[in-house]
Order: sequence, then C-alpha cells, then structure tokens
Amino acid sequence: MSDLLHFSEHGLQEGALLFMALVYTTRIIWFLRFKAGGDRQAATGAPGTTPMKGAVYSLANIALPWGMESTRRKPLLYAQFVIFHLGVVAAISLSMIIPYADWLLESTILVRCFQAIIGAAFVVGIIRIIRRVGSPYMRAISSPDDYFSLVLLTVWFLSAVLAAPNDATGGEGHLLTFFILTAFFLIYVPFSKISHYLYYPFTRYYLGKTMGYRGVYPVRRG
Amino acid sequence: MSEKQERSHKAQKVLERMGQKLNRQMVGSLVACVHCGMCTESCHYVLANPGDPTYAPAYKADRIRKLFKRHFDWTGRVFPWWVKAGSVFTDADLEELKDIVFGKCTNCRRCTMNCPMGVDLATFNRMARGLLVSVGVMPEGVAVVSKDQWETGNQMGVLKEDYVETLEWMAEELEEELGAPAADIIPIDRPDCDVVYSINPREVKYDPRSIADAAKIFHVAGESWTMPSEGWDMTNFGLFSGDDALGGSVSRRLYEKVSELRGKRLVISECGHGYRSTRCEGPNWAQYDVPFEMESSVITMLRYIKDGRIKVDKTRNAQPVTYHDSCNFARSCGMVEEPRELLNLVCTDFREMYPNRAENYCCTGGGGAMSMSEYTPQRLKSGKVKAEQLKATNTEVVITSCHNCVDGLTDVIRHYELGMEVTQLVNLVANAMVIE
Repeated sequence: MSDLLHFSEHGLQEGALLFMALVYTTRIIWFLRFKAGGDRQAATGAPGTTPMKGAVYSLANIALPWGMESTRRKPLLYAQFVIFHLGVVAAISLSMIIPYADWLLESTILVRCFQAIIGAAFVVGIIRIIRRVGSPYMRAISSPDDYFSLVLLTVWFLSAVLAAPNDATGGEGHLLTFFILTAFFLIYVPFSKISHYLYYPFTRYYLGKTMGYRGVYPVRRG
Repeated sequence: MSEKQERSHKAQKVLERMGQKLNRQMVGSLVACVHCGMCTESCHYVLANPGDPTYAPAYKADRIRKLFKRHFDWTGRVFPWWVKAGSVFTDADLEELKDIVFGKCTNCRRCTMNCPMGVDLATFNRMARGLLVSVGVMPEGVAVVSKDQWETGNQMGVLKEDYVETLEWMAEELEEELGAPAADIIPIDRPDCDVVYSINPREVKYDPRSIADAAKIFHVAGESWTMPSEGWDMTNFGLFSGDDALGGSVSRRLYEKVSELRGKRLVISECGHGYRSTRCEGPNWAQYDVPFEMESSVITMLRYIKDGRIKVDKTRNAQPVTYHDSCNFARSCGMVEEPRELLNLVCTDFREMYPNRAENYCCTGGGGAMSMSEYTPQRLKSGKVKAEQLKATNTEVVITSCHNCVDGLTDVIRHYELGMEVTQLVNLVANAMVIE
C-alpha cells in the first residue's frame, strides 16, 4: 500500500470525519437555539392519540410506504428511495471496513453483496439524475446543490463498487478515488442538502408530536 | 439582482420580522426539504394546472425558503447561488411573494401530510402571510376582513343590533313549533349556563337557518345554554392572514366573554377554521389558559343522540349524501370520525368521497381564499379536482362541517355545473329530530 493510499484511508478519513462531526455539532446547537413552539390547548382528536404516539408514527413513517398517499401511489419511487439509502449505508460501511476490518472482504459473498447493493444504488442514482433533469417540476425546484449532491453520490457509488474487492494488484487508482471522494463527501455534506438526515428526526418528531396531540397522527383512512 | 441594491423599508421590515417569527419547528421545515418532489401531486393546484411547476408545493415553499437561506442559514449566506438563496428588495418583490402565499396556496396542509421529511409548508406559508400583512401587503379582501374583525369583533362587520335582531327573529320563528317563549328558545347573555354557543358571522348574514336549527336542537335536548351578545364570533381571520396579534385578540375576546358569563363549555358551531382557531390555535396566540371546555357542535350533537337527549329518525334524510372533510378539521384537529358517526345516525344513505379524511382535497375556499377575489379564476380552476371527487360520489347532496367549505363547494358546484346542494350536519340533525 502506498503512503498516499494509507493516508487516504486513515488520516484523510479521520480528519474529514472529525470536521463533519464538528460542523454537525455546531449545526445542531444552532438549530436548538431556536425555541420550540408548544400547544397550550387541550388535546383534540380521538381518545388514545397522544403526542408520543404521533411522534413514533411520524418517525416510523419512513418504513410505512402505505402511510402516505405520495409513497403509496408511487411504489417505484419508494423502492428507489430504499435502494438509494441502503447504498449510502453500504458505501459508508465499506469506507470503514476497508481501513479497519479488511479481513471481512476476504469473503467473496460479502464483496458481491456490497457490490450488488451499491451497484443498485448507482443505477437508482442515474434514474434520479434523469428524473431531476427531465421533469419540469423537478428542474423548477432544483438548485445547483441538488444536482451536484446527486451526481456526487452517484459517482461515489460507482467508485465504491470498484473499491469493494479491496484489491490493489491492478493499481490503487480506484481505491484512491473512493477514499478521496469519501473524504470530500464528508466535508461537503454538512453544507449541502445531504445533511437532511440530521434534521429528519427533529422535523418528524415535532410534526408527529403536534399531529399526535391533535389526533391527526396516526392517520386514519377509510 | 445585486445584494448591494438598496432595500425598500417594507422589504427590510419583512426580513427583520422573519427572524422574530422563526421557531424550531419552522426552521426544521425550512432546512429539511430535499427537493424530492414527492409533494408535487398532493396539491390540487398542481393537479388542475398540469405542466406548470410554479404551483408545486416545493417551488412555492422555496419562494419563502430562499429568504431564510439567504439571511439565516450558513450555506445560503456564503454561496447563495449554490442553494438558490435570495432576498427581497423592492415592494414589487413583496407583491410577487403575496401572489404566491395568498394566491397559490390555501394552507390546506395536504403537502405536509405527503412529505417524507415532515416539512410543514402550511405553517411557514402562514408565517410569510403574516410578515407581508405586517407591512400592509395583502389582498384587498384580507385587509377589509381583518379591519372588520379588529373593529367590530367579527369578520363580517355585523353590528350588535343586527346580530341580536337575527337571533330574536329565529327564536320567534321557532316559538310555535317548540311551544316556548322566544327568550327561552335562544337565551342571550344568560349567565351560569352549561353551554355558551358561538357562531360564524356568515350564519347571521347568509344562513340564519343554521342558528335556528342549532337552537332547536339545544332546546329539545333541554340544554342550559346561551349565546353571547358580544364576543360571539368563533371565526378568526388571524389564521388566514398569519397575523398572530389579530388571532390572539379575537380568541381572547371570545374566551373572556365565556368567562364573564361563567359558562362551563364553549360550543363552536360547524366551521373548520373557526374550530381550529378557537379550539387549537387561539390559546397559543392569545397566551391564554382557557378555564373551560371547548368542543365542536358536531360532538355536542353526537352526544345528545347517544345520551338519548334528542331522538332522531334517519329516514327523514333518505337522499344519498356524501361528506366533505374540512382541511382544518381533518388535517389540523383530527376531527374525522365524529362527523361520520353522526351522519350514519341521521342519514340512511351516506356515501364516502375518495380520498377522504386527512387525505381529502381542499374545497378551494381554504386559507381565506373566498375573500381574495383577485385569485378567483385560479381558485375555481383548481376546483376541478374537487369537482371530480364530488361527481364520482353520484350523490346530490354534499355535507360539510365548515361554513367556508359551504361557500367553496357551492362555487365549485356552480362553476362545474354539478347540480348538487351543500348543507351542514346541524341541518340534517334538526331535520331528523323527532319532537314529541
């Protein structure tokens, strides 16, 4: 392993992770400095609905594609969402496994699993790029950050697929690309829309709490 | 437009006041949007205007979000073009924003229910309305109605004499049927009653029959009830205009009147936004801990039937009917099953509209849209979705528990020539009631 690859796998990743953690901590502090609104009135809705039930329902919404009309009517988009995010988790895991637990990748089955999941996420990334560029609705709401973040992740998926076997016998280029992209990703994320997962628990918790208190969540259908 | 450009006084005030309005929930909604587009087809404006992305909820939200990003968020401050952050500089910019937040959104909250991230556009759209109203930028109807509610205490400028006269007239109409003196049929300002009944001024002006029907129900149920001569309006234009001060003032007037009469419970006549304002938002706007119970008349009527205080014969309402869920009832107050339970007790042929409950589409009159005549053409165009929903029920009567929805639906029905009648639960209950 070259010094450059070693640095990319360790020093660079650790520095980028530390930077991301610092920025995220600052962002959370900034966010929490805004006062949370509350409800003074008595609860409404059916008996048994509570803020906590509402919050749990709201947070679980991610796993309830039938819960919202938007995901219920578009199961393919929901499937894309699942695959894309599984790809993110797999690629992040890979960026940890290669430097710290590379023996795991001696299993061809595991390598193929990583490649299958991340490869599928890459395909979804391509589909998402086409959708974002092709749909006038998506173009109208997209910023340069939206395009860049999506392309960045899609390219990163491709590099992760190539890096998964952790085999440098044919050269280190693919591994270097993956780790440099990962480091860039970690540094860029806190400033981009990709940081949405940082806010997700808060937005869903507060919406769920309010809707639970008002008896709207869990949603009843008929 | 260059950031160095001088900003108008109004634009400056809007930005300053935005900082004061932001709370954690709102900031969460402003930072969390990923522009996934899942909300797009949840909006009736989008569905009625295919190919026009400017109606998409995320697009509309971004007209407000860009201000937050440019002035309060990190990336937007440093690289505004990268995240489409922007500002307002001129009064024309504010007018443009006005046309979006008042003219292209009824704050129905349907997009909120369909957002995977939990972004609540309706809440910060209302905030944006409030910011514009604070500098006098609003549709003329909003200005007129707000002024009326500030000045007279009710949003239609009904004078106390006219209001009391209408109550007396309705009571006299019922004297013969109920065999009681008018003053006992609609008691005014009677202290220590179990129920204080508040109404929508629209009932006084255009639909006094609903007051008479409610009076008949209270009387037959043997309720100890009264109507206040002042502070009787349970509607609240503060909800629509985003003006929390107006919202708090109107709510407080009502709460204080009930307290003055030592009423045990405030019953709110059928009105989606009135119920939400009085029951849910009012205590927050007014910073007032309400010392009595509050409930919708839907729940009161249901209780009367269940407790045997009134008897009903559902065969008197034999025509097929459907039910329209008010957005404020269904998506902001969780009132979805009680109206249905009541309908099934007083009608023989109730047919659901699809989608329904919290997934129902707006009547087009939400968010105060009925008072903004400059946006009527686009409102009626957006009514295509509701019209199709109504038509598919194959009924001739649509029931709703909201005066705003009565007007919104009536407009849609007329515009799309559906030949349907709109009525409320109170009318059906009164019609079904057996008076022994």
